[in-house]
Amino acid sequence: MKTNYYLTKDGVLRRKENTVYFINKEEKRALPISKIYAIYAYGNLSFTSGVASYLSQKGVPIHFFNNYGFYEGSLYPRETLISGDVTIHQAEHHLDADKRLYLARRFIEGATQNILKNLKYYCSSNSSIEKYIGRIEKELPKIEGYTDIPQLMSVEGHIRDTYYSALDEIFPEEFRIGERVKRPPNNKTNTLISFGNSLMYSTVLTEIYNTQLNPTISYLHEPFVRRFSLSLDVAEIFKPIIVDRVIFKLVNKKMLDDSHFVGELGDMLLSDTGRKLFLQNYHDRLSTTIKHKGLGREVSYQRLIRLELYKLVKHVLGAQEYKPLVMWW
Amino acid sequence: MYVIAVYDVNVDRVNKVRIFLKQYLNWVQNSVFEGELTKVELKTIEGSVKDLIDQDEDSVRIYILRSDKFLQTIELGTSKVEISEII
Repeated sequence: MKTNYYLTKDGVLRRKENTVYFINKEEKRALPISKIYAIYAYGNLSFTSGVASYLSQKGVPIHFFNNYGFYEGSLYPRETLISGDVTIHQAEHHLDADKRLYLARRFIEGATQNILKNLKYYCSSNSSIEKYIGRIEKELPKIEGYTDIPQLMSVEGHIRDTYYSALDEIFPEEFRIGERVKRPPNNKTNTLISFGNSLMYSTVLTEIYNTQLNPTISYLHEPFVRRFSLSLDVAEIFKPIIVDRVIFKLVNKKMLDDSHFVGELGDMLLSDTGRKLFLQNYHDRLSTTIKHKGLGREVSYQRLIRLELYKLVKHVLGAQEYKPLVMWW
Repeated sequence: MYVIAVYDVNVDRVNKVRIFLKQYLNWVQNSVFEGELTKVELKTIEGSVKDLIDQDEDSVRIYILRSDKFLQTIELGTSKVEISEII
């Protein structure tokens, strides 16, 4: 089993004795090369060209995040899984307005259904959530009605706003979201959401790397230059399943205190300990396994992302229509 | 599966074995490695280590556990390394 490594300290990555070493003043750690799935770098990381080429050779991407936990970029290894056939069909589904709409709708539908699952879970203990569920369910049929992408995006925005208002009913006062504010996030929960979402995008990107899909051709989001927008599309489905649930756990189990944040209201960041706590819980969540109905065996949440991408490949190749993953558990 | 590999190899070859195992497992102590492996990786290790050592003189033992859930460790003294994905 390969695993993700998260580097929160400053240091150097070096190739030595055919494996990768993380070195800084206090420590020297060997990361077994065949165990590295992806590296998430949060500190100031220097690395030698030796390690860069070695990791590329082994197909290990490194994702870089800045001080704020925002995604900065990736060292994306040379694509070894390429298929002209898939790329052409993927582009065809983008260029054909109807085909693109179909996929864009599925991504929003999947995200919404998973959001509803989260809310319904809390509904049993807090009935004030019910009205929000009703409101979101009313938005759902609109997805089929709208025929242009910006309108779809605004429905998605509405749903998320309602979702966050519902969460405010459950969360203790200091964790109320109020309004979603990014760059920089202004309060504790906004900080957690931003941090988690950035992490989610790169996790999806890592999985895209392991399929034949091209990460720049997207459906719901516009394929901007310099962005892997397909990972934004697919992340929509997984944010409620993975990121939001990590946040619920941290908040509801009262695992967070003031030492996990730095800065003041209006400009808030996770501190080093906060970052580590979040990463640990995120990592545990990704490695949690559930019994897959179709496959009949245990799969991890991380694997579910890959399976979702395979479904997308099948869809663009015309083998099987894409239906988004909705939590069945 | 989770494995613990210990070796007693002549100094002439010990470094080769150490460097090789480093690519797959975490170093815990001198001559001791442990970590999660797949069946294929275990076979690879078996094959390669056999080539690296002298069959008449050296010994490498690999203890196999179904999962690290079955592993309980007691550590006395100071721990040499910490194995964690978050650094």
